[in-house]
Amino acid sequence: MPIDPIDVQILAAVLFSLGLATVLTRRNLFLLLMGIELMLNAVNLSIVGFSRTLPGDASVTGAILPLFTIAIAAAEACIGLAMVIAITRVKDSVDADSFATMKE
Amino acid sequence: MFHELNPFIGQLYFWLFAGAAVLCGAGLASSRHPLYGAINLIGVMLSLAGLYAILDQPFLGVVQVLTYAGAIMMLVVFVIMVLNQAVDRAVAPMDRLAVVMGLVPLSLLATLVMVLRAGPAVVDTGAVRGSPKPIAQELFDLTAAGPGYYILFELIGVILLVAIVGAIALAKRRLGRSAPAAPAAEDTHAH
Repeated sequence: MPIDPIDVQILAAVLFSLGLATVLTRRNLFLLLMGIELMLNAVNLSIVGFSRTLPGDASVTGAILPLFTIAIAAAEACIGLAMVIAITRVKDSVDADSFATMKE
Repeated sequence: MFHELNPFIGQLYFWLFAGAAVLCGAGLASSRHPLYGAINLIGVMLSLAGLYAILDQPFLGVVQVLTYAGAIMMLVVFVIMVLNQAVDRAVAPMDRLAVVMGLVPLSLLATLVMVLRAGPAVVDTGAVRGSPKPIAQELFDLTAAGPGYYILFELIGVILLVAIVGAIALAKRRLGRSAPAAPAAEDTHAH
C-alpha cells in the first residue's frame, strides 16, 4: 500500500502551522526568518505530495515548481539577513519589538 | 518506486521522517536561542529531503540537502554567529499576546485537516519518478508548444543576481566614495 497523499498533505499542514506559530509568537528576527523558511518548505512538501496524484508530464511539474521555490527562498534569505545586519547596526538589537518606530 | 518494492519499509521511513520533521519544527517554535532554532530547522530540512526521496522525487531531495540544508542554513548560522558577539541579550520568548496568537495556526491546522479528510486523493500510476532526466527535459523544453519553464529559469537567474547586489548594498556600511571617517569603535559590533 503506497503512502496516502492525504497523510503527506496533513504533514505539510502541520509543518506550515508550526512555521506560522514561530512567526506569530516569537520576537527574535532570526526566528521570524526561520519560521518563514519552514513555511516555504511545508508548501514545497505539499507540491511534491500532490505531484504524485497527477499523470505523466503533469507530475514532472511537481518537481520543477519546488526548484523555483528553493531559488526564491535563497534570494529571500540573502536579502532578509542583509536587512537584519543593516537593522542591527542602527539599533543594536534583534528584537522585532524595538523596531516599532512607525507606531509612535 | 521505492515503496512498491517493500511497502512496509516505505511506510516506516515515511512516518520516521514525518515524526522527525514535526519534532524539529516544534523545537524551532520553542527554541530559546536562534542557534538552537537553526539546528532544529536543519533537522526539518534533512527530514524533508528524505521524504522527497520516498515520495518519488530523489533529485529534489538532493537539491534540498545541497541548497537548503547546505547553503541557506549555513548563511543563517553564519550571520547569527557574527551578530551574536554584539547582541547577546535575552529576547522575551513569549508573552500573553503570543499565547493568543498561537491559536491562529492551531485553528488553521484544524480547518485544513478537516477539509483534507473530506476529499480523497489517489496516487496516479502514471506519475513520473522525478529523476534528473525527465525534469531536465521538461525544464529546458524550448519548443513553442512547450511549457516555457526556461523563461522562468532565466528570470530566476536575474532575481538571484539582483538579490546578491541588493544584499551587498544593504549590508555594506558605505557605498562608493568614503564618507567622513567613521570612529574605529564602530567596527567592534557590526560586520
